[in-house]
Amino acid sequence: MRLPDSLWGISRVWLRYYDVFTKSIVFYAVTTFVQPVLYLLAFGVGVGSLVGTLSVGGMPVTYRAFIFSGVISQTVLFSGFFEGAFGGFVRMYYQRIFQAIAITPITLSEVLWGELLWDTTKATVAAEAVALIGVLTGDFAPLSLLTVLPVCFLSSLLFSGMGLASAAFARDIDQISYPQYLLVFPMFLFCGVFYPIEKMPAALQVLAWLLPLTSVNSLVRTLTLGLPFQVWAVPILLAWLALLVTLSRRAMFRRLVK
Amino acid sequence: MTEAAGPPLRVTSLAKRYRLAAGGDFEAVSGVTFDVQVGECFGLLGPNGAGKSTIIQCICGFYPPSAGHVLIGGTDVRAHPKRARQILGVCNQEDTLDSDFKVRDQLIRHATYFRIDLRTAKERADRLLERFGLADKADQQIESLSGGLRRRLQVARALISEPRVAVLDEPTTGLDPDARRVLWEVLSDARRNGTAILLSTHYMDEAERLCDRIAILHKGRILDIESPQALIKTHIARAEIEEEVRPGVIWKRPPNLEDVYLKLTGSRLGVEGL
Repeated sequence: MRLPDSLWGISRVWLRYYDVFTKSIVFYAVTTFVQPVLYLLAFGVGVGSLVGTLSVGGMPVTYRAFIFSGVISQTVLFSGFFEGAFGGFVRMYYQRIFQAIAITPITLSEVLWGELLWDTTKATVAAEAVALIGVLTGDFAPLSLLTVLPVCFLSSLLFSGMGLASAAFARDIDQISYPQYLLVFPMFLFCGVFYPIEKMPAALQVLAWLLPLTSVNSLVRTLTLGLPFQVWAVPILLAWLALLVTLSRRAMFRRLVK
Repeated sequence: MTEAAGPPLRVTSLAKRYRLAAGGDFEAVSGVTFDVQVGECFGLLGPNGAGKSTIIQCICGFYPPSAGHVLIGGTDVRAHPKRARQILGVCNQEDTLDSDFKVRDQLIRHATYFRIDLRTAKERADRLLERFGLADKADQQIESLSGGLRRRLQVARALISEPRVAVLDEPTTGLDPDARRVLWEVLSDARRNGTAILLSTHYMDEAERLCDRIAILHKGRILDIESPQALIKTHIARAEIEEEVRPGVIWKRPPNLEDVYLKLTGSRLGVEGL
């Protein structure tokens, strides 16, 4: 397969999603950005005023800044997963878009890359919007908008892969609840979005590090708050990324191509 | 693209086996060989489950064949799907319209997947909408269309790239007689321009009227390939068929394609002497 041709195919698919997005920009803006802003207000400002300052890895951090950076990871998780899982399922199963495009000069492989990259784009933009709020409130340095971008992008791709794999394995749309309750919500609650995982028992900490969101949180906090760099977060994130992107594509091929 | 060798569509010794969940294989299609020539309309007739849709999925390059080849304009669709499908237009049996786009936008969007420039795409879309009687629906949402109108739109979408090979899987299912006539006219025009058409249908009158040649398919195998007239001549001995259509009412008529179909696919009981 010639590379430029494939890139053209992927960009066509991505553009299809983009055009749908811009047609209902208000709807998407509300559904994408309201939730992180609510978390920022409730936990950052609300709980933050009670907690004050934490000590994380020997460094003092205001709870508001801690939560703001956690909400970046949470946004990546929710936006990537839900778009890949529910959006992907609707497009694959109800709209049959994958099947309709993949019999034109655009291949199924390109369609799936386009889907993953669109879900990734959306999650990355949403996460960067949270980071921007953090910069405006003075919790992050302006430069962190740029430095956190690669982590946002890669982790968005990771969770989009998790979502699309869930869509591929789900017999009906309700079955997406399994990964949602068994994987996404536990990560949301136990991987350091709301509190430093060092406060948990050691066994739970190990468990938390096995899940990808802990690494995302760690890297995001290094880049936004200057917390110590936990080098093992990088291989964990990359391993999950490779696993989930490969799995999502394989599972989708297995489901659609007989 | 190099000069096209051979017919626009060539299917050679195509076989497709599915792995069954219970274990073992199911042979959906076996030893299927046929060509479709320039400007020809070739029919695939067979009962449900005979393998028509499997053959069509293999022709699109969506399913990999277990054996055999599909050449579109001389290009193997599995080896070079992009090049092969550049000249292929497909109307699937199931509804695959993109409900996020309105009627006219739907056609234009699909054209861009073939690298057709926007101006040409718009011109063609308007022409097809006019032709298919959808011009007044151009700015409507897909959801607001009736089943028949959706079907028409999906056939129009298959033709937006002005394909050299058009594959239409039961295109007239759910169409009223009027819309069916319109589609027949459109297909005639496409053929005059050299488009090779592969048509699967359950309507025998349609197959007899449209198809130059017909393959009768049963349990994944082609039983015979001939023109409709030759099929009737070969397989039906009688010059006249008598049939009790209602209690006490007997019709006498010349044999038709349906008689051949029913005889070969053996799904009708109680008709003797064909």
